[in-house]
Amino acid sequence: MYDLIIRQGNVVDGSGLPAYTADIAVKDNRIARIGRIAESATREIDAEGKIVAPGFIDPHTHFDAQLLWDGCAKPALSHGVTTIVPGNCSLSLAPLKPDHRMRLVGMFNQIEEMPYKAFREGVVWDWETFAEYITRIRKGLAINVAPLVGHSVIRLWVMNDAATERTATDEELAEMQDVLRECLDAGAAGLSTSYVDMDETLQPVPSRYADAREVEALAEVLGEYGRMLQIVPEFYDPDLTIARLDQLAELSIKYSIPTTFSPLFVNSDNVDAVDKVMDRVDEQFARGARVWPQVQTRPIDISFSFAVPSLLFIRIPGWYRVMRFGTHEDIMNTFSDAGKREALIEEAKVYNDLWPILVLRQVKTEANQKYVGKTLGEIAKMRDTTPVEAMIDLSLEEGLDAHFLAASMGHNNDDKVVSLLKHPRVHIGASDGGAHILSFSTYGDTGYLLAHFVRDLKTMRLEDAVKKVTSDTASIWGIPERGLLQPGYIADIAIFDPETIDRGVEKFVQDVPGDGSRYVRDSHGVDTVIVGGGIAWSAKEGYQEARGAVLPGEKGSQPELVAAE
Amino acid sequence: MSVSELSPVRKSILPTGDDTWATIARRELADRPEDKAVSDLQSWNLHVFMRAPAPETSPRAGNQVLPSDVIFVEPPLSDA
Repeated sequence: MYDLIIRQGNVVDGSGLPAYTADIAVKDNRIARIGRIAESATREIDAEGKIVAPGFIDPHTHFDAQLLWDGCAKPALSHGVTTIVPGNCSLSLAPLKPDHRMRLVGMFNQIEEMPYKAFREGVVWDWETFAEYITRIRKGLAINVAPLVGHSVIRLWVMNDAATERTATDEELAEMQDVLRECLDAGAAGLSTSYVDMDETLQPVPSRYADAREVEALAEVLGEYGRMLQIVPEFYDPDLTIARLDQLAELSIKYSIPTTFSPLFVNSDNVDAVDKVMDRVDEQFARGARVWPQVQTRPIDISFSFAVPSLLFIRIPGWYRVMRFGTHEDIMNTFSDAGKREALIEEAKVYNDLWPILVLRQVKTEANQKYVGKTLGEIAKMRDTTPVEAMIDLSLEEGLDAHFLAASMGHNNDDKVVSLLKHPRVHIGASDGGAHILSFSTYGDTGYLLAHFVRDLKTMRLEDAVKKVTSDTASIWGIPERGLLQPGYIADIAIFDPETIDRGVEKFVQDVPGDGSRYVRDSHGVDTVIVGGGIAWSAKEGYQEARGAVLPGEKGSQPELVAAE
Repeated sequence: MSVSELSPVRKSILPTGDDTWATIARRELADRPEDKAVSDLQSWNLHVFMRAPAPETSPRAGNQVLPSDVIFVEPPLSDA
């Protein structure tokens, strides 16, 4: 008697091999058998006409905070994602001294656009060490979590205020190494660092005050465990990206560690720049380095209102300054003051091509509903004004609660993007799940991959696409016993309809602690998601069992890690 | 493939903790006057030169170079 049998599904097992029809039996938390199964089970799922695949693994998320109030990482789990990697970009929520909490919240607010109020009202700060944080999130965990520890956070822990003032002493380096060992022993999947991010005062985050010697000292510790080093390079410049990937390659070879950098975008103004980066990646792999670029599947869409700072405006300082540092009243006054308004309009001319194509996506007043769905160019004509002035006026009329969409801002050349996604050395990721919650929805990237590139454009085989987000990811990260449908493997499984799977429609919901809102996408075409042998979510019954695990887990309970060579 | 077989890329350095434009100029571009060397470095490294300055109260006030920066010590290869 099995616990669960999935009947007659089209099995895409994550290996890249052709699909085949079979039953899959689950006993406890593992796949017990694949084939024609005559026995019965406590629970059975009819998967005829559906794809049965390993659960998807999302290697670049920021669910660190959300996991404290939502062990499902909603709605990621419902999209078929069974494992997430939080703690990217030098930021994790542990280890963390009480004195540093608000400083770290400021960084999450600035970099990942996560609201202060959610931290104030959704987080009970009852941990300091990484082990304590893991214990905290383990309660009610329905999705697997492979958490990174952030370099900036380790630096703050060891150096306090000096973390943003200077390089580390030898003693501090040794202490950072010990702290990293403690985190890895407690279950951290690796270390993240950043070379671009700024805190809420627009000063560099702590990791950027580290010299190469410090990064090497930490990589040495990662080498003791064979764990991942993730970085955010200066992704806006291919020469800088190449310099960083060369730096990573040296560390990868010297300490035999996997490394990954994210994001790698297709730049609309220079679509061939990624080829230059990928040529270097190929050369470094040929040397024996593991330097995995992470590429997202979706084009870049950014939504914003002037009620919260948006990174869309970071290159026009006059606008960004008032959004970042101004109160609601300050922003309203700035938009109303003739002189200040004129200065903003003048500064905005650098993006004159952008403003007319922005779409008004949401307002609260009845009077302006007629403009929703129209571009600022269209609205400007209707109101006999310019697009920028229309944006300002609508924001004033709506008390800053007018929401605009900058759609398909980049990474939207399908031919180039798919050539990257198919590249054997490209790691599909960079979803940013759980972050930028008022700028765009970070969910449904796997649905977009399977709908847009596999089904609609027919530019990828289904089996290859599934492999890229399952067994490839598990191998790259050294996540054992997951990513494949094989007897003996942990039963993390996504069942979906290949004809209907998609990323879902982006919508604005209010489900963040502190009455906060965010953009999400409900899953579309996903039937059932199984984590650790239990049904974690189904389209019919919603969220159910919570069998998520922390991967690779604390020292002593970890299976042998085998990272991809 | 060995290091020596890698394709040529734009030459860069990773600074030490105390590096400034001037120390990098003296070390990496010793064959040219310091003022000219600093000016060249700044023009090749706009990602550092255009950065907002550190606050006056910061121990790093006045020094734009961060210990984690990549500093190019030559122009883009296509311009060389």
